[in-house]
Amino acid sequence: MSRLLLARLTVPALAALFAVWSPPVAPAGAATGAETFGSVCAACHTIGGGKRVGPDLAGVNDRRPAEWLLKFIRSSQALVESGDPVAVALFAEHKVAMPDFPYSDSEIREILEFVKRGGAGGAAQPPAAAALRTTTPEDVRKGLELFQGTLRFANRGPACNSCHHVNNDAVIGGGILAKELTTVFGQMGGPGVQAILGKPPFPVMDQAFASRPLTEDEIFALVAFLQDADQHQQFQKPRDYGFKLFTSGLAGLVFLLALYGLFWRRRKVHPVNHAIFARQVRTQ
Amino acid sequence: MSLPHLFLFVGLPYAAILLFLVGTVQRYRNTGFKVSSLSSQFLEGRALFWGAVPFHFGILVVLLGHLIAFLLPGGTLLWNSSPVRLIVLEVTAFTFGLSTFVGLVALLVRRFTNPRVKMVTTRMDVALELLLLAQVVLGLWIALGYRWGSSWFAADLSPYLMSLFTFDPNITAVSAMPLVIQLHIIGAWLLIAIFPQTRLVHMLVAPLHYLARPYQRVIWNWDRAAIRNPETPWSEMRPKNN
Repeated sequence: MSRLLLARLTVPALAALFAVWSPPVAPAGAATGAETFGSVCAACHTIGGGKRVGPDLAGVNDRRPAEWLLKFIRSSQALVESGDPVAVALFAEHKVAMPDFPYSDSEIREILEFVKRGGAGGAAQPPAAAALRTTTPEDVRKGLELFQGTLRFANRGPACNSCHHVNNDAVIGGGILAKELTTVFGQMGGPGVQAILGKPPFPVMDQAFASRPLTEDEIFALVAFLQDADQHQQFQKPRDYGFKLFTSGLAGLVFLLALYGLFWRRRKVHPVNHAIFARQVRTQ
Repeated sequence: MSLPHLFLFVGLPYAAILLFLVGTVQRYRNTGFKVSSLSSQFLEGRALFWGAVPFHFGILVVLLGHLIAFLLPGGTLLWNSSPVRLIVLEVTAFTFGLSTFVGLVALLVRRFTNPRVKMVTTRMDVALELLLLAQVVLGLWIALGYRWGSSWFAADLSPYLMSLFTFDPNITAVSAMPLVIQLHIIGAWLLIAIFPQTRLVHMLVAPLHYLARPYQRVIWNWDRAAIRNPETPWSEMRPKNN
């Protein structure tokens, strides 16, 4: 085996070794079915408590075959795209795509077993969230400020507009890493949005707030703002930040190139000390 | 959390850091005088200026930005809590990203079109510059296509990197990121892995002391007769090294 081939194989071989011997990675599958349901599924589903963001899961083991449930939980959208009539109907009814959950068969079966027991032996519902009281303009204002970060979360989590956009004149263009939230209140309803904010079922959002959870008051204010944003969306015409960001960058680039040229255009002339040069020429 | 994710976001980073450390020490011990960028400025200067200057200023600012968001995620989020500051930061970062891109493209064109530079180009130079180009393009794509990256980097990627350095890897968030961002992360680890085998090693021997050293003093012995006269005192500075 040539040295070159050895060198080429070094990175993948070392990486494989480290992957196998690396310290234990925060496991998604180590939790029991009850724990997984409580920490992930309960944000959107109940067992016998009625519809939340997704359907009530009481009796789901009787309604659907186990194999279908395994496929749907692992990637609901893959099933929708394959044209599965039940998946398409569910998506049409609930209008929200369930995120993919890369659990193993045994992990999913544990969750389904927990659902079959009717949620016995675990917290099937998310922790008590603030009861939805009547919202006031102050709540909406506070939610708006929390959303774009001008008012920081008590636990110092990232502002919502880091990843989410809302079509609203009062906030700057939000991020586009995650779903646009202009109509999320209309799609999920107050309790659904509240449940997701309290216990995000999406890995990226969950990790961002894992050590910095939102308080109940903050969740309430955000729900109030999202409700207001949904109701008034047709009157909003915010700026298009995507194109502006690009053109501003181009303008900045032209400025930088001009600066580089100005500073160094005569760089080979400046190092010469003209006084000494002239003196030398005079004496020769 | 699949095996490929474990391989790419845990195994690859540790392998890359190990290769970086071992490879750098080995290269310095074996061929210490070749730890440099092997400048080609004597072969061609004009195109180099419009490549190297925009590239280096761009990459320095962009790298510093990544480093600050990694080491000070709380400070980054605090800075971004004002929309104006967020936009200023993002536009500045994007501008310097574009500067990096323009400079790198100019350097690549010079490398492939100038016969003198072509003669001193190695296969590793080409591989490195293409990998860098892919990284810069992906970075610009992320800045526009997944905007406010400084905020979500501080919230999700800084904890991921920190978890690697504390030997408690957590790849939950990074495994769920869009493919473009994942490719940018993988590219960064690959760059660290090949670092010691490339011209990038010049980063470690950058002549930073030039910034603080005194100006070079040139003594021109224009009046030789006066200097040869033993009566003439050393006026200002006694010459050294001669």
